[in-house]
Amino acid sequence: MKKADKVAYDKDYAAAKKDGKPFFPYAIYKDTIIAGLAILVVIVLAITVRVEMGEPVNPASTDFLPRPDWYFYFAFELLKIFANQNALTPVIMATFMVPNILIILLVIWPFIDRGPERRIWKRPFAMGTAVLVISGLCYLTFLGASTPEGIAKGETLPLTGLDAAASAGEAVYLANGCSSCHMIKGVGAPGPGPELTNEGAKGWDNAKMVQWMKVPVAPMPSFASLPPEDLENLSTFLNGLGTKYK
Amino acid sequence: MTTKDIGPKNPVEQGVTQVVDFVDERSGVKNSGRWLMFRNIPAGTSWFQTLGFTAMALFGMQAITGIILAMYYKPDPNTAFGSIAHITNEVTWGWMVRGMHKWGASVMIVIVFLHMGRVFIWGAYKYPRELTWVTGAMLLLMTMFMGLTGYLLVWDQKAYWATVVAVNIFASAPILGPYIGDILRAGPEFGPDTLSRFYSIHMLLIPGGIATFIGLHLYFIIRLGISEPPWAKRALRVQRDEEDARRKAARNREAGLKGSVSFPPAWVDDEQEVKR
Repeated sequence: MKKADKVAYDKDYAAAKKDGKPFFPYAIYKDTIIAGLAILVVIVLAITVRVEMGEPVNPASTDFLPRPDWYFYFAFELLKIFANQNALTPVIMATFMVPNILIILLVIWPFIDRGPERRIWKRPFAMGTAVLVISGLCYLTFLGASTPEGIAKGETLPLTGLDAAASAGEAVYLANGCSSCHMIKGVGAPGPGPELTNEGAKGWDNAKMVQWMKVPVAPMPSFASLPPEDLENLSTFLNGLGTKYK
Repeated sequence: MTTKDIGPKNPVEQGVTQVVDFVDERSGVKNSGRWLMFRNIPAGTSWFQTLGFTAMALFGMQAITGIILAMYYKPDPNTAFGSIAHITNEVTWGWMVRGMHKWGASVMIVIVFLHMGRVFIWGAYKYPRELTWVTGAMLLLMTMFMGLTGYLLVWDQKAYWATVVAVNIFASAPILGPYIGDILRAGPEFGPDTLSRFYSIHMLLIPGGIATFIGLHLYFIIRLGISEPPWAKRALRVQRDEEDARRKAARNREAGLKGSVSFPPAWVDDEQEVKR
């Protein structure tokens, strides 16, 4: 903003203040009513939608659904968008680049948009940004709220040609909640992890897969707590997906 | 005959007046309080401008319900889940306080986002209120981080594994990531100290930060005053310049001088404009 604009604004605001009303009671009564309503909403929600107890933590059992609270659904959905890791959309976009760009934009915004104009329809750039960010966040939150959480108990994978080791591996896969992040032939959550239908096409050997299970790339948690034979069977199963087991 | 004011006769009233006067003599609280409450704000202040106060009120509610929950909660992996069950099922009104704290977090996040949206759409972050926006952005980030750290404290499977994934995401950041991960987990793995670390961050570190930044935010708001709605009757300079230009162009057209005469820019007669 130019010096003249600042001087003009200060003068205008001083005049507005001079013709204004005292904070008490003209502003405070509105504040009190709206804040009171918000707290009333909280109380009504607390009474009508009771909090429930979940399953107690068991770090050894990995049968879990890693779902954040609703206000982080957008971040969770970003992970899904960038889940299938390749050179063009690495997962670091969702875990680091996009969130940090948004945070930096948020903090420095007043130093980007500095013109004296305040009328809504005369600020197309700012309003365009607002519409883009707000609709994006709402859409991702809605997606996060409406996607199914993995598979139902007792559901199996539509695969054929499984041998004994692969069947054991499939059981490990199903028992440890892998399908709450990965999809195989349309079964399981579509992310945040990549789809595994053709995992075997990568041509990994079991040692490499076991090592991955123990020290995976974030955000996937480590499965080092599983027994070695389970990890071995799981690796056999995964390394044959799309090639031996279809 | 003139009367002399000897103050209230009631000894209780007298005592209170004396205490207030004693404090006022040393702190000047009467004057500054009067200034704070009765300072002028622009007359057109709107209902949309109540959201910041509402967010602050909800923070207060979260603090009070949080203090009550902390009286019963045990931040230890072996007892945390049991203490939450105790609060929910046995403590008088415990389910209510826990429910208010949980729903209060969601409502607070909604209100904070609405507040930010209002400031953004109105352009209220512009000169001279840039730093008010920056402190507000910090408050938004800290509020989100409150949600993240509080989620783990209920110590159920969903919260535990969601937090494992979230901390993995922090730890995967380049350069500083591994250190941030270690700081959050209190070590390379989720261990017995992780829960108490999250508890400490959730109830001491971030609330302290939020209180500090609410103080800064309020300082800027009180010092700079609350902005006017963009539809305020008093037109801003840009708008007056536009109208002036339109009027002059019309005048020029009438005089048959279509655009051939330049006129002095509007800010030259700023003084007259303010009077208008």
